[in-house]
Amino acid sequence: MILEARGITKRFPAVLALDRVDLQVRKGEVHAVLGQNGAGKTTLMNILFGLLQPDEGEIWLEGRRVQFRSPHDAIAHGIGMVHQTRRLVPAHTVLENIVLGHPSARGVLDLHSARRSVEALCRRYGIGVDLDARVWQLSEGEKQWVEILKALYGGARILILDEPTSALTPPEVRTLLNALQVLVREQGSTVLLVTHKLPIVLRASDMVTVLRSGRVVAHLKTQTTTEEELVRHMIGRDVSIRASEAAQRPRRPVLEVEGLSAYNDKGVLALRDVSFVLCEGEILGIAGVTGNGQDELAQVLSGLRPAAAGRVRFEGRDITHATPLQRWRVGIGYIPAERTTVGSIPAFSLVENTGLGYHFDPAFTRRGVLDYQGLERITRHILATYDVKAPHPYVSAQHLSGGNLQKLVLGRVLLRRPRLLIAHLPTQGLDVEAAAFVRARILEAKAEGAAILLISEDLDEILSLSDRIAPMYEGRLVAILPRGEADPETVGAMMAGLRPKEAVR
Amino acid sequence: MRLGDRAFVLERRPTLPGLYGLVTAGVAILLALALASLLFLPGEADPASAYRIVFTYAFTNPYGLVATIHRAIYLLLCTFAFLVPLRAGLWNIGLPGQVYAGALAAFGVPFLLRAHAATAPSLAPGLVVVLMVLAATAAGAGCAGLAGVLRARFQVNEILVTMMLNSALFWLVADFIKEGGALMSATAEGESFVLPPFLQPPTAFGVPFTALIALLAAFGLDVLFARTALGFRIRAFGWSPPAARYAGIDPVRLPLLVFVVGGAFAGLAGYHYFGAVPGLYKIPSNYGYYGDLSFYGIICALIARGTALGAVPVALLFAGLSLGGRFAQGALHLPFGVDYAMLGLLMMTFVVSHVLYDFRLGERLAPRPPVPEVSAERP
Repeated sequence: MILEARGITKRFPAVLALDRVDLQVRKGEVHAVLGQNGAGKTTLMNILFGLLQPDEGEIWLEGRRVQFRSPHDAIAHGIGMVHQTRRLVPAHTVLENIVLGHPSARGVLDLHSARRSVEALCRRYGIGVDLDARVWQLSEGEKQWVEILKALYGGARILILDEPTSALTPPEVRTLLNALQVLVREQGSTVLLVTHKLPIVLRASDMVTVLRSGRVVAHLKTQTTTEEELVRHMIGRDVSIRASEAAQRPRRPVLEVEGLSAYNDKGVLALRDVSFVLCEGEILGIAGVTGNGQDELAQVLSGLRPAAAGRVRFEGRDITHATPLQRWRVGIGYIPAERTTVGSIPAFSLVENTGLGYHFDPAFTRRGVLDYQGLERITRHILATYDVKAPHPYVSAQHLSGGNLQKLVLGRVLLRRPRLLIAHLPTQGLDVEAAAFVRARILEAKAEGAAILLISEDLDEILSLSDRIAPMYEGRLVAILPRGEADPETVGAMMAGLRPKEAVR
Repeated sequence: MRLGDRAFVLERRPTLPGLYGLVTAGVAILLALALASLLFLPGEADPASAYRIVFTYAFTNPYGLVATIHRAIYLLLCTFAFLVPLRAGLWNIGLPGQVYAGALAAFGVPFLLRAHAATAPSLAPGLVVVLMVLAATAAGAGCAGLAGVLRARFQVNEILVTMMLNSALFWLVADFIKEGGALMSATAEGESFVLPPFLQPPTAFGVPFTALIALLAAFGLDVLFARTALGFRIRAFGWSPPAARYAGIDPVRLPLLVFVVGGAFAGLAGYHYFGAVPGLYKIPSNYGYYGDLSFYGIICALIARGTALGAVPVALLFAGLSLGGRFAQGALHLPFGVDYAMLGLLMMTFVVSHVLYDFRLGERLAPRPPVPEVSAERP
């Protein structure tokens, strides 16, 4: 037993985050910690890494009782952690970021010998990162590699990875899982893999500990368990993951996009000549790997980014240059990918966050005074019907888990009954149950006649929900395929940039 | 930190009890006064009687009290000038410049109407006073609006722009009131002309009507932020401009609006001190002192935690201490700058009290010493 947590309890105001949690990790294994959002996975890892102090319980490392007052102590004991959010200096190079904070970096900096050791690490694990690139130039996946390298370079023998696959493309996930195998089998290191993704657990781990509502509900050997068993432990009952399907025949066009182009923040043309028509009661799925113009497409359509060329018409009206407010008013709803920075204000209460979608609505303002009671009614309605777990409507949004926050944002947008819904990564980072809930609501809106543009990186989600599928690559729609013609291989190949003829073969 | 079997940690308070806020403020004031008593040691009196002099002058002496109120109104208007943009996440550091602009515009009205001499004006005097107030607010608003436009349209840092405007307006005032400037007094003493009696606004108990405006504004601003859609938008923008944009809030108009409203308050403050306070009725040669004083509006707003009504007692206290301190300085032959030193100490203890308000010392049973004590070195 290399690392052991005994009876860890952690209380937050009004929440028991961890309830007498035991965790046993053997040396040289990939140990998955599985659970829904809010199950306490990240809290537990933060305690093991010294970021949080447990209220009760003990941590034992290699048979000795240890106490981590800060991550510094944990690192000194050979524990490294890669967080869900990146903690790098964007303006510095990869190498500088890796060396930053390392004991050898005090006093005189020897970047040459550091470079040699980091290059050796890269070779050993098959990691390809340009050590001289500035971190702001890297993709999310590459930034994660930098953090992993940083942990390894810091001498980590126990590596904690918090949701490492959420920002990665399928090939990157493969590379990561391979590197973990090398790390564990050849170097004898130990990996704690925190995730809510069942396929990752089944593919990569040796042991799995399942957390539910702050308690350990199962401790299983991966080889002898099944996806169904894990779901049952994780959620506490059986769920059907498949979304129901209602065949709808597209009718009136709602959104007509013609030759739309837009620049990204760096001034590069990131959206190029995109054209499509979206009809009422139809879901068009935009499939693509991060950074292929989906952000820009969503932002241009919601009015947050100017169009460089082209035309957008909504129910026959030209809205190419309409402001976000004008778009809200005519019935366009937008669920942004960035739910904590754009979709909500963490310091605001849930009522105030609901207000973000209603402050311009004459039904909720009387002579400039905002109807907070009305907003509270709506908030309570959203909490109840959208199954948002929150103690009361006046708690601030930062206390909500990702899934609950997303349900609140979704409820706020859908309650306005938009005729066009732009849903950008609506289920990213959500657990199985919350994701199924969000998808069901999107299908409900479709059944009520809304036109829906679903932008997602989850190919299964796109294929199961969309009527038509448009793979996106380098700012262009590669093709628009009816669902019948879109199989995962074809769409996957188009997402990688293969043109229709080559992809179909 | 560990003491015996107890461990002490600094942790964020889960909830903020309202009464506790008042208590910490009270403790901060007492602590500042205790520290400031050291300043009185070189003087002729012991600290207790020195404070008696400070407080009796500031709050019970009929002349002192009125002066305290005049100054508190000024500080309060400057507080609002800072507070409104602050709630939108923007820093209006241009209070002196906007005060100067307000003063210049206010005195420009009678000059242009040729009503600054003691001759009968062509317009009703009451109307001229109203025009002076409007001109002052418009000038302050315009001055701050310039920073707002640059911020909103071109992303120019508002702190830099307002600071530079302070300097520009300072010299513009000098140009107008000194050495042959248009608003210069007849005696050329480096001050503006004195408002003729019929342009001196009416007072009640020596307090001009601007007091009423300041109190109504204090109440109105809190209602604005707590209840109105506009206040909601300002707060949303202050917390997160991207989320505000997503929610349909105009990212150009809103910053401009809060600067214009803030600047209007500062312009009004300029009118108040130079055009409405009995005994002054002119832009004095030491107008820079009043400009510097406006910065205490920033401190008041921060101490009051962004609430306008909460700033009223803070402004009164600051005004009283600065005047009482200056009076005691003369009465007790204290070294120069006792008043500013007291305000400075008060500022520091308030900052400390905020930390105590937000954090607490948590005490819990320390885990029994680990059986084998592990060193911090890597094994």
